[in-house]
Amino acid sequence: MKTVTKYFLLLIGMVIFAYPFLWMLSGSLKPELEIGGLGLWSPHFTMAAYKNVLTKIPIIRAFLNSCLVSLSVTASVVVFGSMVGYALAKLHFIGRTALYLLILFTMMIPFQITLIPQYVLMVKLGLVDTYLSLIMPTMMSGFSIILFRQFFMSVPQALIDAARLDGCSDLRILFRLIWPLSRPVIITVAILTFMTSWNDVLWPLIVVRNQSLMTMPQLVTIFVIGGQAEAQLGSLLAAATLLALPVIIAYAFFQRYFIESMASTGLKG
Amino acid sequence: MNSVRPYCVCVLLLFFVGCANKNQTTTESKAGVVHLTYWPAPNPEEIQLADTLVRQWNRLHPDIQVLMQPIPVSQSTEEVLLAAIAGKTTPDICSNIWPGALHDYTEAGGLVELNKFPDFDSVMAARTPHDLLETFSTDGKYYQVPWKANPVMMFYNIRMFREAGVDSVPRTYSQYFAAAKKITRDTSGDGQIDVWMGERDIRPLWWQRLFDFYPFYIGASSGLTLFRNDSVAFENRYADEVMGFFQQCYAKQYFPHTFFQGGDPFLLQKKATNFSGPWFIATIYKLAPYLRFGVAPLPVPDDHTGPVFTYGNYKNIAIFSTTKHPKEAWQFVKYLISAQHDLLLLKIANQLPVRGDLLTNKLFAEYFRENPLMVKFAEEVPYTRGDDPAPDLKEILDGISQEYEACAVYSKKTPAEAIHDAVKRTKVIVDWNK
Amino acid sequence: MKKRLNIRHAWKQSDKTGFWFVSPYAIFFFLFVAYPLCFSFILIFNRWNIVTPMEWVGLRNFDRMFRDPLFFKSIVNTLVFLLIHIPLQICVALGLSLLLNSKIKMRGFFRAIYFLPVVVSGVVVTILWQQMYSFDDGVLNRLLTLVGLSRIPWIVDPSFAMPSIAIMATWKNVGIYIVLFLVGLQGIPNELYESANIDGANDRQQFWKITLPLLNPTIIVIVVLSTIGGFSLFIEPYVLTGGGPLQSTLSGMLYIYNQAFYFGHMGYAAALGFVFALIILVVVLLQRKLIETEPTS
Repeated sequence: MKTVTKYFLLLIGMVIFAYPFLWMLSGSLKPELEIGGLGLWSPHFTMAAYKNVLTKIPIIRAFLNSCLVSLSVTASVVVFGSMVGYALAKLHFIGRTALYLLILFTMMIPFQITLIPQYVLMVKLGLVDTYLSLIMPTMMSGFSIILFRQFFMSVPQALIDAARLDGCSDLRILFRLIWPLSRPVIITVAILTFMTSWNDVLWPLIVVRNQSLMTMPQLVTIFVIGGQAEAQLGSLLAAATLLALPVIIAYAFFQRYFIESMASTGLKG
Repeated sequence: MNSVRPYCVCVLLLFFVGCANKNQTTTESKAGVVHLTYWPAPNPEEIQLADTLVRQWNRLHPDIQVLMQPIPVSQSTEEVLLAAIAGKTTPDICSNIWPGALHDYTEAGGLVELNKFPDFDSVMAARTPHDLLETFSTDGKYYQVPWKANPVMMFYNIRMFREAGVDSVPRTYSQYFAAAKKITRDTSGDGQIDVWMGERDIRPLWWQRLFDFYPFYIGASSGLTLFRNDSVAFENRYADEVMGFFQQCYAKQYFPHTFFQGGDPFLLQKKATNFSGPWFIATIYKLAPYLRFGVAPLPVPDDHTGPVFTYGNYKNIAIFSTTKHPKEAWQFVKYLISAQHDLLLLKIANQLPVRGDLLTNKLFAEYFRENPLMVKFAEEVPYTRGDDPAPDLKEILDGISQEYEACAVYSKKTPAEAIHDAVKRTKVIVDWNK
Repeated sequence: MKKRLNIRHAWKQSDKTGFWFVSPYAIFFFLFVAYPLCFSFILIFNRWNIVTPMEWVGLRNFDRMFRDPLFFKSIVNTLVFLLIHIPLQICVALGLSLLLNSKIKMRGFFRAIYFLPVVVSGVVVTILWQQMYSFDDGVLNRLLTLVGLSRIPWIVDPSFAMPSIAIMATWKNVGIYIVLFLVGLQGIPNELYESANIDGANDRQQFWKITLPLLNPTIIVIVVLSTIGGFSLFIEPYVLTGGGPLQSTLSGMLYIYNQAFYFGHMGYAAALGFVFALIILVVVLLQRKLIETEPTS
């Protein structure tokens, strides 16, 4: 294939993947009547749609909710996940292999089975409409434990033995010695967890009905299907842009890590 | 020490998260003062009514303070209430109880048995005719106070009728089609029809059937509902005729096949008729005060005789069993349904209180003199039917909605097939519920 | 006697810190994995709307399921989705990753752009495509009319709606699979191509004889991941079509959601979830069997 053809095809691909986002951004700034157009520029750009969204739904609050939930979940998955991963890789205790197999097994359970009982559990614990209900069920993940274990296996045992001789506790070894060595895996787990948590809609829709506790994607979903947008395209696109912006900004900075993290999900199969 | 830090941060974080949500309303704050929560329907008129009534009540009763919170708009009332019962976060009083969902609430023990209040019988006897009241009982017990009715009738645009040369208001299906043929047309000349006889939301939303299929079925059958003696009873010629009527409306393009965006097409004068309750009058006055419109009973099959029945769309008041102050709550309910406040319900929300003396009580006479259209609705009340007290009525209506979509909107089935399939699905649901 | 000694010995040898370290997971496991799993086995035999007392109905939930046209409809819809989504996904991802894998400049930039929809929430993507799919003034139909074609009723026609969702899902996820293919492509030793060149094999032959067979593991991963994703399809139809028109986009997950949270049938929804999980298992196993080829020497 000629190089020109290659670039041409790649450019077409680029337009297909990037144009819709640019169109969304420009549409959210255009006056209502111009939105349908294919062009991206308009001399009449206005912030009206954003003002409309900001007055109609508490989207700033939802943004903070999402931050709180996703950060808590990510912190928990990284801290607890690395602890379990460390134990599985480096500590010899009864049932270690059994636990490892059990975790592999939990990864194969389709969430269709556990979704309803998990909701029931939240109801029974009286946690519906709380931040805890959004955080707790995803505080740990089998996949990240396995990732940590795999990575920690490659840490030389001699290093740990030496630290033990110096009188270090295992907690100290893990957080002071191994964590600094494990930046790639920590970043991978953190990005994957944060993204999954940030973008999840189904679970928040189920356990949160109080508008002031809703996560950002949930609030936008309800804004769209609940008719509050009153079919104003500009407001819909503005809400979508606001929802996309934080992730796109994060992606712009950590693009390489995002892609590498995702490549590791291939191991899951 | 340092090694524990991330751990501590995490625990602390979770602790804060746990505390962040402890801001629930407490029932008792000042000694001796009782606090009640009241959920009205979330439409602007009813919020205004509730606001007026609650303010006045709180002034008159410093020891029983009521907090008014409209039901969140994000979901249907039934969904919100069921979730609230599950989470034990129900209010003390709610005035937007759809009788079709009452079964779920009572099964769950969510509602207070109102007939246990000593003055229940006398209060109700003074307001609602006995026979009508009985239709709201559950095995002889009362969990709801019938509050308001919204008989579904046909609104029509007088100007559009006149301009199209429709002289008389259609009473039967063929008259409706004849008028539709004149009215439905392309006014802008771009080859697309832009003025319709009527329009219904084409999405299969179960409650939409309460404003088309169900009232038309009650009308065609002179007062039958979906069930008779606890068994499914709508596989009959009336149901077929109604389904056929709507199929014609879509097939002949009297109704649009697209989903309308940008406001109610009746208010925009894009459709000539609308099937709705009296509250729609308030909407018209507010959003399109220039519109000239009339109200008539729903069209019926050509061979129909006798009065035209319709769906009453009742919404009732209930007290939830989570209340700590049933007596005070009952006092507030009595306050809501007093004659004075029934008049406010008429005036502010344009909805009909479920009273026997609507057209005879002098208190209301002036209102009805000033609002002659409301008289038509009030006169229709004796010919209304409510909702079958069947479990899962919502899902049954959802089944009918899907058949409506398949048969009426898309013409993929004959009316008889559609009704047959709807009955079949209903029977599966009923069997499963036995 | 000896065995007991062994156990005691093992316990002594065992690292106590290990238990301490995995204890948070143990709590989590019992609360959010073991309990829900066990509870779902009870739930599927009950009729329950959470608020009323649970009622044992034996196999009635399954009896209802086999008389429930929507259950079958949702399976058919999911299969339609997968039949379009998986081949499309593999073709596009393979094509773009082959292009990216050749000697070109700005590879990282292109890859980053193709990956963009992956990181953005499905809600954003759905809102965006809702506008693009709009019949009267959507971007896609405008483009079609611009080149003189007639408009396509993307999401308003029952036979187009599910394919439209499959196209949208492909657009959203293809970035992941491009990356996976790139990893796979980089794992193919260059010597294979070199020796093929010496043997006089052309590009096309090399693709069919070397590239594709060696990418087989990647393809299996992609098929399995897409299948699981397809059975979890929820937010796209929920926002875009609500399951319509004529139930043509009612996905399994959407139906479970409706039964559980719209109609309050927890038991029936749990039973649906159970059966769907079984179907996923069977489909994935079948796929592995069908696609997995003998490792070529």
